[in-house]
Amino acid sequence: MADGKVVIETAGLSKRFWGGFRGKDVHALVDVSLGVASGEIFGLLGPNGAGKTTMVKILLGSLRPSSGSASISGHECRTRLARQKVGFLPENHRFPPYLTGIQMLYVYGGMAGLSRKQINAKAGPLLEMVGMSRWRKTRIKKYSKGMMQRLGLAQALLNDPDILFLDEPTDGVDPIGRHEIRNILLELKRQGKTIFLNSHLLAEVESVCDRVAILDKGKLIKTGPVIGLTAAKPGYTIETHSLSEETAHKIAAAFPQVQVTGNVVHATFDDARQVNDLIDFLRSNQVDLISVAPIKVSLEDSFMQLIRGNEAGD
Amino acid sequence: MTKFCAILYDTLLEVRDRKIFYLYWAVTLILVLVFLLLPDFKINNVNLFENADVGSELIRKAYAAFFDGFYGFMIFLMVFGAAGLMPSYLGKGRIELALSKPIDRCRLAVMKFAAVYLIMIALLAATTIIIYLVLSIRLGSFTGYFFLGLLLAFVQFFAVYAIVFFLGVASNSSALSIMGYFIIRVGSDLLSGREVVYRFLEGSIWKTILDGLYHILPKIGEMASNYVPLMEGQGLDKTYPVYSTVGISIVLFLVAILIFNRRDY
Repeated sequence: MADGKVVIETAGLSKRFWGGFRGKDVHALVDVSLGVASGEIFGLLGPNGAGKTTMVKILLGSLRPSSGSASISGHECRTRLARQKVGFLPENHRFPPYLTGIQMLYVYGGMAGLSRKQINAKAGPLLEMVGMSRWRKTRIKKYSKGMMQRLGLAQALLNDPDILFLDEPTDGVDPIGRHEIRNILLELKRQGKTIFLNSHLLAEVESVCDRVAILDKGKLIKTGPVIGLTAAKPGYTIETHSLSEETAHKIAAAFPQVQVTGNVVHATFDDARQVNDLIDFLRSNQVDLISVAPIKVSLEDSFMQLIRGNEAGD
Repeated sequence: MTKFCAILYDTLLEVRDRKIFYLYWAVTLILVLVFLLLPDFKINNVNLFENADVGSELIRKAYAAFFDGFYGFMIFLMVFGAAGLMPSYLGKGRIELALSKPIDRCRLAVMKFAAVYLIMIALLAATTIIIYLVLSIRLGSFTGYFFLGLLLAFVQFFAVYAIVFFLGVASNSSALSIMGYFIIRVGSDLLSGREVVYRFLEGSIWKTILDGLYHILPKIGEMASNYVPLMEGQGLDKTYPVYSTVGISIVLFLVAILIFNRRDY
């Protein structure tokens, strides 16, 4: 299925919630247009209340858009056909507490059209994969949040979906579990599945997603590959043994883009080769170097910058 | 069919978890013990337990008298048992997952209604048959007339559950759906005796309003007044309340589906 075809598409999607007779209407989504290609892991980012869950709910038919359109695999999102090969792990789910793990798979697998025989064949390996085999006959009411997430993931994968919607999949999961889920997502991507991931955890998104979209106050403020968002001018931090005031002035005169703080030199260059010039300059001025470390721009840095920029724009 | 079976299975496990089963079995057990331990069962000063040769009409009266009260009580319990099932299904964090499955909303609502209805009437049928067997053994007479009462109970519960289902979908609250049902039930019972109220009201407008309300509200109480004549073999005594209640219930059920189909979850 990984053929690059757009399988999730929204065009001018808006959602307005009525604010009551006295309140203001809430614009949860404003004219959002995006596309997700088959076989990619797509991350939807945004602060709380940005409209991420609203977006997923519209795509999966829980909410009706106020305007615009949304489709999955070419089918209008409210139709049954759109959800034929889709798996979903909702945020803040409340799985029926009276069910055991295996019973939950019977119920939701059955609702996806799978027979008991098919579910039995798939449940074992899936529960094994998410580390829930031991708890298959335990009631969900006794599960921890992390266990419910794991079971929810197994449930989402039961019908062998082509497209997987995961809303905060690692919420409440311990670090080992997060690592395991990350590996599962990468394995699913390898199998050609399309994954639409909603997450607050930017490091997680950065490590698994191919592309991301950033929503803020219902508006799409950035879409692009993760590499594009984290790529910046090459920056370095050079720690020195000692730096006299005179040398610091010389550096500032020779390299205007460099900042000196105590014994540390912070440099951002248009070209990575310029760092060698700076090192040569420092050495020629008898400055002893302790370390040269590249400055990495994380997705979190880009995200914060974009959100602040958007707030300033408002 | 697989999808319906999954919903039925889920509903069955929820009913079990809510101890509704146990309530039914407890009521059944109490009645069974009462009939086993009861020294006599008198109608018109004839002890039916000691007069197996009494006429079938008397036996029918005995069944009718008992099952009239029994069905009324069981449907009362069924309202409480079933009222919370749809609102809990519509709960945040649960309905989203159901809606993400490849099932049309209309079908999902119909299947959930059918699942609850089938489980409830199956429970009613099972308890009825157990009590019938014990009662028949004690009376020494097996008569099938009570089955007509059971059929009427099925129809009555369809009407009752359609009202509760509509209120549950509209309000998302089991408490409101139970309260709403009893308000409708009491209101319709009062309206069935509206002739008395006319004496105290002047002007035809009140008559029109009360008549209108009477006709548009489901008449569950009046419907139940058919149990005794039906089980005594006289057929339906009042047909209008039955037909109009079923008709109104179907309309309420369709409106519930329409609401469910259009609402944001």
